[in-house]
Amino acid sequence: MVTVTFDKVRKAFGATVAIPGLDLAIASGEFVSLLGPSGCGKTTTLRMLAGLEQPTAGEIRIGERTVNNLAPSERDIAMVFQSYALYPHMSVRENIAYPLKKRGVPKADRPAMVQAAADLLQLGPLLDRKPRQLSGGQQQRVALGRALVREPKVFLLDEPLSNLDAKLRAHMRAELIELHRRLGKTMVYVTHDQLEAMTMSTRIAVMQGGVLQQFAMPGEIYHRPANTFVAGFIGTPSMTLADGEIAMDQGRPVLKLGTLSLELPSDHLSDRPDGTRRVTVAVRPEDIIIGTGSFRANVRLVEPTGHESIVLVNAGDVGFTVRVAGDTVLKAGETIPLDLRRERIHVFDRETGRRLNADRAAATADSVRSRA
Amino acid sequence: MTIAASQHRTQNPLERRYALLGVLLIAPTVLILCAVIVYPLISAIYLSLFSIYTPTLKGSWVGLDNYVQVFGSSGFWSALGTTVTWTVGTLFLQIVFGVAMALLLNQNILFRSLARSLVLFPYFVSTVVAVLIWRWLFNDLYGILSHLLIQFGVVDMPVDWLGKMPNAMASVIFVGAWKFFPFVVIAVLARLQTIPEQLYEAATIDGAGVFGRFFDVTLPQLKDVLTIVILLRTIWDFKEFDLIYLLTGGGPVNNTRTLPLIVYQQAFGLNQMGVAATYAVAMMLVMLAFMLIYLYRARRQSP
Ligand SMILES: Nc1ncnc2c1ncn2[C@@H]1O[C@H](COP(=O)(O)OP(=O)(O)O)[C@@H](O)[C@H]1O
Ligand SMILES: [Mg+2]
Repeated sequence: MVTVTFDKVRKAFGATVAIPGLDLAIASGEFVSLLGPSGCGKTTTLRMLAGLEQPTAGEIRIGERTVNNLAPSERDIAMVFQSYALYPHMSVRENIAYPLKKRGVPKADRPAMVQAAADLLQLGPLLDRKPRQLSGGQQQRVALGRALVREPKVFLLDEPLSNLDAKLRAHMRAELIELHRRLGKTMVYVTHDQLEAMTMSTRIAVMQGGVLQQFAMPGEIYHRPANTFVAGFIGTPSMTLADGEIAMDQGRPVLKLGTLSLELPSDHLSDRPDGTRRVTVAVRPEDIIIGTGSFRANVRLVEPTGHESIVLVNAGDVGFTVRVAGDTVLKAGETIPLDLRRERIHVFDRETGRRLNADRAAATADSVRSRA
Repeated sequence: MTIAASQHRTQNPLERRYALLGVLLIAPTVLILCAVIVYPLISAIYLSLFSIYTPTLKGSWVGLDNYVQVFGSSGFWSALGTTVTWTVGTLFLQIVFGVAMALLLNQNILFRSLARSLVLFPYFVSTVVAVLIWRWLFNDLYGILSHLLIQFGVVDMPVDWLGKMPNAMASVIFVGAWKFFPFVVIAVLARLQTIPEQLYEAATIDGAGVFGRFFDVTLPQLKDVLTIVILLRTIWDFKEFDLIYLLTGGGPVNNTRTLPLIVYQQAFGLNQMGVAATYAVAMMLVMLAFMLIYLYRARRQSP
């Protein structure tokens, strides 16, 4: 069990700065996802941890050990690549045994270790096949087997599921969660898929443009996004983001959104604005109520997905995305009443994008997760 | 045959016209192949059954006498040995130089594209020109090689590179390697560029060093291309004529006289076209073995 620390780590490729300065402290036994859009520096971060890329500045520690100057093989890590990177001419057995062989594990000890890894991943019947004779999911499991056979301190996984079809991906997600629970090892998992990050991680590091946006538990990320980027990035469909203004009226904050005006709970904000404050608000599709309320909304589009429908409506010049039960009868063009769950409205500073909501226990309906 | 059969079955005039068009389209290729491969081949076998005086191309039927003579002569067997020595030696060096150079050119070295073009130079320069330059370098009176060796005190006297054994064979093998290693470079480099970088990274993390990565990742991936390269180059080196003929003429005392040189000697030196054809057919039989291996492998690889 071991921690992983990034201390003011910077990475530039020539003139391109991929990571301007990253501070990240991963606790022992955690399953941390690096989540963000393509090109945000997730892979670069992981590769620096693996030793495949040298940081331009800063320090990376695995446990108490600074690993900046250690070769990948000396870092006691294992990595699973997006392409699996199995050795094509070796059988599954030889692939899994390869790291043992290269690390001088005595020949007599190897079969039992390979067998143990194979059993854990149900690879037993495949041991004598070549990688090209395996399906994508099986290759993925061989790659995992090769990673865990020598019991590294930290597992690094770079989008390991993105080459699988949707059904297999869901299956492998469950297997990875189970694997993490059984091994209890620190895992760093790169993905651009928020579903993977939300379902598997103990904590998620959301990145954008090489900058860490928020590092928190999945529930926290979802219910208390730290800034407008996280608010817009997490959640499907995305939150409605709209610019507005907040002014105090008799001790209560009043939010003006286009022509809508609504009173927020008095303890909604972390500080009381003097005069008018320019803000960006974000509302989850499930925090908008249709059928009651004082606002009038015009239905633009209904997208039924089965058990729920996504509805796009206009209310007071603002376009909202609303999630409703699948059996709700709505037609485009209809005018309906609409309300917002005021205590769930996320408020951000329009200039800095930072969260302005007060910390309230009610706002974090978070299930604390730990599998260790 | 297939075309004829299908013509019989179908009376559709359109299909018949298409079949005719097909025959017309492949006819030039077939004719050219016949003219340049089938005719000389049959002609060589035919000639080998006669005793023929080259200038007149007239002679008498001798049956298999030429074969008895050739396979019974020590000249044939020693030339076969020389040919094998030359082929194995030069091929070995071509592969070693070729793979090493391809690995180097696959790195991010300075002026990589310039280096890639320069390395092809020996392959494209005419053999006559190349050999003349090498003979000049090898010359024992004014050659730069001996001169440099004397300068650096490696030897006291000029080395006779081409007139003594084993120097002559070594020189021929070396010049052959210099001339033909770019072929290996081109083939291997093309393959190297398709090896996924992640395989090397996975091997690095698994604990493989430079040699581990070469033997466990690179070499297995090069196996197929090297097999084909070795087969092709074996055939080509086996029948190499001009380079050896121009460099040593087969000397000293027939020590670098390979089979193609004997064929030439018999045909145009001794004017024995029949015997020459017999040597050529014997050579062809040896190469046929390689051809069969090549065809077998090529067939097995294409699914
Ligand atoms: N070897 C490289 N050379 C130059 N730029 C690179 C290199 N690797 C990554 N980058 C740049 O760094 C940024 C982050 O890349 P990456 O870490 O691969 O993103 P992600 O994995 O999040 O999609 C991108 O802008 C990319 O173009
Ligand atoms: Mg990536």
